[in-house]
Amino acid sequence: MEPINWHSFFFLLSSLVACVFALGVALSSNIVRMAFYLVLSLAATAGLFFLAGADFVGAMQLMIYVGGTLVLLIFGVMLTAKGPFITMKTSAGEWILSAVVGGSLLAMLLSAATSVQDWQTTYEPPAEARVTATRLGMGLLGARVDQLDEPDAAQRAGMSGYLLPFEIVSVHLLVVLIGAAYLARPKKRMVSSADRP
Amino acid sequence: MDPVSTLPKLLGLAWLLPLVSFTLIVFFGPRMGKSGSKAGYLATGAILASCVLSLFALFFVWLPGYGLPAPAHHQAAAESSHEAPAGTAHDAAPSVKAITGDWYTLGKFGSLRITIGYYIDSLTMLMFSMVTVIATCIHFYAYGYMHYELHEVVDHEVKLPNGQHLHRRGRFHRFFQYMSLFCFSMLGIVIAGNIAMVFVFWELVGICSYFLIGFYIERKSACVAANKAFIVNRVGDFGMIIGMMIFFGTLGTFAFGDIDTDGDGKPEPGLFSLVRSEENHHALATPDGMIKAAAAAEIGRGVVPTAEQIQAWREDISPGSPGRYAYWLLITAGLGIFCGCVGKSAQFPLHVWLPDAMEGPTPVSALVHSATMVAAGVYLVGRFYPMFAPEVLLVIAVIGCITLFVAATIAITATDIKRVLAYSTVSQLGYMMLALGVGGWAAGMFHLITHAFFKSLLFMCSGSVIHACHTNEMTKMGGLRKKMPWTAYTMLAGCLAIMGAGIPFSIGLSGHYSKDAILAQALSFKAGNPFYGWLFYVAAGGAAITAFYMFRLWFMTFAGTPRDHHIYEHAHESPKVMYYPLVMLSVFAVGIGWSVERFGIQPLLEQTRPAGILAMSNGVLMPDLVYPSEHASHLDEFHGPSTYVATATALCGFLLAVVFYGLRILDPNEVRNQFQLIYRFLIHKWYFDELYDAIFVQPLLFVARRVADFDKKVIDVFIDKLALVTRMVAGLDDLIDRYFVDGFVNSAAAGIYGVGTWFHGAETGKLRQYVMFIVIGTVALFVLISFYLNSTLAGF
Amino acid sequence: MNLLTQPIGVSHYLIVGAFLFVTGVVCMATKRNALGVLMGIELVLNGANVNFVAFGSEYLRPDTLGIGLDGQLVALFVIVLAAAEAAVALAITLNFYNNHATVDVDQANELKG
Repeated sequence: MEPINWHSFFFLLSSLVACVFALGVALSSNIVRMAFYLVLSLAATAGLFFLAGADFVGAMQLMIYVGGTLVLLIFGVMLTAKGPFITMKTSAGEWILSAVVGGSLLAMLLSAATSVQDWQTTYEPPAEARVTATRLGMGLLGARVDQLDEPDAAQRAGMSGYLLPFEIVSVHLLVVLIGAAYLARPKKRMVSSADRP
Repeated sequence: MDPVSTLPKLLGLAWLLPLVSFTLIVFFGPRMGKSGSKAGYLATGAILASCVLSLFALFFVWLPGYGLPAPAHHQAAAESSHEAPAGTAHDAAPSVKAITGDWYTLGKFGSLRITIGYYIDSLTMLMFSMVTVIATCIHFYAYGYMHYELHEVVDHEVKLPNGQHLHRRGRFHRFFQYMSLFCFSMLGIVIAGNIAMVFVFWELVGICSYFLIGFYIERKSACVAANKAFIVNRVGDFGMIIGMMIFFGTLGTFAFGDIDTDGDGKPEPGLFSLVRSEENHHALATPDGMIKAAAAAEIGRGVVPTAEQIQAWREDISPGSPGRYAYWLLITAGLGIFCGCVGKSAQFPLHVWLPDAMEGPTPVSALVHSATMVAAGVYLVGRFYPMFAPEVLLVIAVIGCITLFVAATIAITATDIKRVLAYSTVSQLGYMMLALGVGGWAAGMFHLITHAFFKSLLFMCSGSVIHACHTNEMTKMGGLRKKMPWTAYTMLAGCLAIMGAGIPFSIGLSGHYSKDAILAQALSFKAGNPFYGWLFYVAAGGAAITAFYMFRLWFMTFAGTPRDHHIYEHAHESPKVMYYPLVMLSVFAVGIGWSVERFGIQPLLEQTRPAGILAMSNGVLMPDLVYPSEHASHLDEFHGPSTYVATATALCGFLLAVVFYGLRILDPNEVRNQFQLIYRFLIHKWYFDELYDAIFVQPLLFVARRVADFDKKVIDVFIDKLALVTRMVAGLDDLIDRYFVDGFVNSAAAGIYGVGTWFHGAETGKLRQYVMFIVIGTVALFVLISFYLNSTLAGF
Repeated sequence: MNLLTQPIGVSHYLIVGAFLFVTGVVCMATKRNALGVLMGIELVLNGANVNFVAFGSEYLRPDTLGIGLDGQLVALFVIVLAAAEAAVALAITLNFYNNHATVDVDQANELKG
């Protein structure tokens, strides 16, 4: 009996939680429960990120997704949650159809995920964990510290950082937030020209 | 002021003013005041301005410019014409030459120039003044007479199919619109400087006459009368075109006088100079152009037309020779022009239209159908006088004589007041033609002027009577003198004037002088040509008949006791705007013939008498035909007897009228029964209408009906069959279209529509289905790539 | 093969990602509530994120094979993108709700051809 690989164990635990609650989201017809399941599923996914060594991404997942996006969603749920909209049943025919289609898609993806030998090989992860936040921060500012030992100077120069995408995303976020505020503004009464003095 | 430069401008302006009025009324007539009442002011103002302008031109430009006419030298001229051998006699060129020139050249065809030109001599001045004065009076009169046209009119002579009388809108402005156009056209004839321009305005007055006769277009009689006038005039105008074409073809000019057209300082000869050249002492000779045209065969054979050769041809008038042919050309051209005058002046045999033309409103009858337009024919004969060969003049005389007698006899029995005057007009026009035909140029023109004044006066008086009585029938009138004194006594003046009343050798009314001149000329002609003495006797007899029917009219209308009391009770004097012109015209009718010193119509006419027409002349084809000089008629041997005859005959007629109608001593009905046959003949107007109906209208209708039958039975059937075939072909086309072409197009469209509908099903608009489609698509793509395109993609 | 004793590889992560992805798709396809569809989208994005992180992780595969830090950066971007998308989609949903008084996406068929 080999000792339990705790890394694998937590992975299995997290992925099980993520998958089960994701399935719960898909199967539940109560919008409030769906939101709750989604929170759990996303939190479990953040656990998966931690297990993959991406601690900063996992933290962001928890903060932005679970803490921000989902709060937003729950706000939406509360704003629109009137009696008839809490649960909206879908017909059985559609369930069957989407199950068949989803199943075939899943089969396709799984076959793809398991078809490459290289992706199946496992190895022992390095003992000491590297803190990724600094490196990510440097990457976003334009310096790739993880690539400094690249022997080829030309290739090293080509791997410049993510400053430009960072800026793009920032502006994108600003635009999106303004647009969202604009879209969701309360409707004003149109003042017809005839009413004007 | 220099008459040569001033007169064309003054008269041109006077001529164009009515055109301006016409144009304005055409476009703005209905909007001028209430129901177009201002249109009357406009037209009257325009003609009044024309009148002032032409009188100004006569008294302040012409007379100061040329002085009073030179003293008459009757005696000397008459003696010289007796002594000199016929044909070589010549008179001095007139002291005053006509002012002639062109305003505007419309076009040039070879040597022929179509121009708007003027020919101004004392005749033009007199005619201008006469036309504008009378037209002004009649415009004022018409303003009162046509007043009922200002509001809606109920025409009692038109019955609609539903038994009611016709109601229509008033046509006040339209009346004055046509009157203005007429004045413009008439003045155009008078001032015209060439025969083509005369023809244009000739037709314009014709169309005005047509419009005005048919003014009450809803009445069938007016409609027919307008058509009759127009069609009968076309017969005459056809002859006129022939005459014009002869001048065009042989002489290459339409101009009357000599005009310097090419600017070389030497005037081009006009028609008058070509026929009566200065080298020939203004004696009539066949012009060179006509001789060249007649001798075209000889010239074609190589004979050179030198001056001597042309002279030789001219003198040789043996049958078949070019000279005779050329002379016939001259005669034909003259007869052609005269033919137009016959139509316009209602001479026998085309006189039938004028009495019917009385269907028009009375001011129209007064202006168009008595004073001016119908006199235009006489005027043209007078204007064209130098062009007429003696043979043509004889025809004119005979036609005029027949006309005066026929019309006068018909007037005796007519009972319609306007028709009596219409026949009187025809008769008086016959007098003028007779005068011109027997060589009395001045006499004819003089009578034209005097007649215009008293006849328009008579017509306007009759209009006043009709206005009061609402009937034309004299048999329903009588005693109106007390009701309408102004009309009665002005009309009496007119009757006396037309009768020629006067004391021999001292004083008389205007007709006295002009009729005397005509009879004296006829007597003078009789002396030279005893064979044509009957012209004088008929003219003298006509004078008696004239007096008789005129006073028959006056007595029946104004004297005695009323025949119809209902009409008498309702009769009333006309408004001032109507009888003031009557008074004015009666003054003219009385005094227009007087000559004070050397100032008068006749001396003025003599001032610019066309060169050469005073000389004695002989016919060429009829050598026995002798035309005496007109001055010879002033000799006592002709003038004395003719004055006595004229006065005596007029008095006879007057006394007869007094006996029959004034005192009613004799009953006209008894005479009527006595001479039943003659009465019927006269009341049917010599059966002219019936005759024309039988020989022209009925055959024409017969042919027309046959042609219509042919149309209906042959051409129509053929066309119908053709149409049927076309329809069948079209039906076939329709089938092909519907089942083949349309079917193809429709099925293509239906196919595309089906495909579209099929795809349309996929566009459900449902979000969840789209998600499903995406997934299915992804899976399908994967399946496709991994199972079927694997080998293909592996190649990369 | 005992999953508990063996170290795990990229494939395992891919399987979890695929499952999340398919669940999200099914969620999008079956939910009539617009917010449900939105949640489905979040799941799909998460599934993709799992894959990115897995390929970029040096715990799961040697450095030479992975995409290194790039995977994590893309995952970060996706998270930000998801947040923005959630804001916009929520705004659209609220607008739709204001106009139609419903959040049923089946009612939103105005684009039907």
